[in-house]
Amino acid sequence: MTFSFGLGLRTQHYHDFLEKSQPVDWLEVISDNYMVDGGKPLVMLDKIRADYPMVMHGVSMSIGAIKGVDPEYLRKLKKLEQRIQPMWLSDHLCWTGVHGRNLHDLLPLPFSEEALQVVTRNVNQVQEYLQRPLVLENVSSYVEFQESEMTEWEFLTEVCQRTGCQLLLDINNIYVSSFNHGFDASEFINGVPVGSVKQFHLAGHQNNGDHIIDTHDHPVCKDVWTLYKEALQRFGFIPTMIERDDNIPELEELLAELGQARTIADEVFSQKVAV
Amino acid sequence: MSLATLQNDFQSLVLDPECRSADWVADSKHGLGSKQRLAIYHNAYRIRLTEVLRDTFEHTASYIGDEWFERLAGSYVQANTSEHSNIGLYGQAFPEHLAQVLKHDQEVAELAHLDWTLRRAFDGSNADVITREALEKLAAEGVSIEKFSPVPTLKLCLHHFNTLDIWHAINQEEVPPQVVALDEPMHVMTWRKGYSPHFRSVSAVEYAAINYLCEGCDLEAIGEALSLGFPGADIVNEFGLMIARWLDDEILTA
Ligand SMILES: [Fe+2]
Repeated sequence: MTFSFGLGLRTQHYHDFLEKSQPVDWLEVISDNYMVDGGKPLVMLDKIRADYPMVMHGVSMSIGAIKGVDPEYLRKLKKLEQRIQPMWLSDHLCWTGVHGRNLHDLLPLPFSEEALQVVTRNVNQVQEYLQRPLVLENVSSYVEFQESEMTEWEFLTEVCQRTGCQLLLDINNIYVSSFNHGFDASEFINGVPVGSVKQFHLAGHQNNGDHIIDTHDHPVCKDVWTLYKEALQRFGFIPTMIERDDNIPELEELLAELGQARTIADEVFSQKVAV
Repeated sequence: MSLATLQNDFQSLVLDPECRSADWVADSKHGLGSKQRLAIYHNAYRIRLTEVLRDTFEHTASYIGDEWFERLAGSYVQANTSEHSNIGLYGQAFPEHLAQVLKHDQEVAELAHLDWTLRRAFDGSNADVITREALEKLAAEGVSIEKFSPVPTLKLCLHHFNTLDIWHAINQEEVPPQVVALDEPMHVMTWRKGYSPHFRSVSAVEYAAINYLCEGCDLEAIGEALSLGFPGADIVNEFGLMIARWLDDEILTA
């Protein structure tokens, strides 16, 4: 079994990746940060891409938008996709705003048949346009809706079955939502079909006692590591990375944290992970 | 409730100045009540956009201080929604907002405008810059270039205060000088050289010349127009020096 571990590329670490070869198998870039006209971001991207395989991860597709995905956004995304030639391309199963406005947040959808139909139509359009399967990530949420007719994992399963898209399972987001809504995180994991998961995210959060905010500014917590182990046991090895977006430490620290993920995978599959 | 109604109401709730509760949120027996849950989205929206403004208008924020900046950013966020998928473009109208709100402190808007144009130059379009060496090589081959275009990141603006000095001081983490209204407005040029945004003041003659350049005039036409516009000046000499400086600044493309 081949293991592969990645990190989210952040500007703070450009130098580390340019200076010498780092022990990661791939890098995830935030697509939106490179959908710019020119200058340093694209130069750095090209230089680092020359040495590392990449995956693209977006935050503004708004796949749950009733009006459909913005064609201009898709055009820019495709242009970047052709430049990077990523192993896969992901965004979030959410919506970001309506009436041409962007709230710049990953807003949750009700798990209803109507939402399923909107998402199915949009995913089909995006996949047709990009000529590749889309990978969708489960988001952390703080509200649940009266309109929901199924669980989140049933909703994810349906989206995959109806569109052929794949999932980026964010283990931390499962944990955060399970804490905030009082469901069993293991039930979520066991409800997602084996074979539908392309990537795992691991991240830290802020626990405020009676609720958790998904801040990506802390190391991965113990409970999330436990859940990661469960996920590996169910899905087999899935390419894994750590997401840190705030309070970003030295690269060394993130590599050490990624080492914890390697150790867990090693334990689960009882084989040495090549670094 | 349809998905359209729900999304519409959710969005209004986030955008409204005061957070309220909503009947489409499922009751939770666990943790927070529904209004507190919605407040997380309501707060996060404001925090996120304020952070973007603080990042884009770094020097402006340093100049006026955190508390004041936060208040001004807050009023901007309440009055302006984002219509861009790129969150970095959210602050486009912030300098104008500051100009309207701070009628007696117009240098703040000028500083914010400088922060904005420098940030836009940072990831603005690339261009094939003509260097002095390339031009000399062409000249040696007997090729003469009659017309240049400015790089796409080049912008001109007019300053009424010592904003450039204020910006420099803040950038060096020094105490900024007292604001001074200039006797004559100063022309300022911003652009990107290599990876870095640059700015400098330009004379009235150079300002006119760059304007002609932007309009697509060839070198001969610019020279003629300058001679007519500035009859007292030694245009032949000045224009030659200007072009040499433009080559060093890397603002010319073929
Ligand atoms: Fe994630």
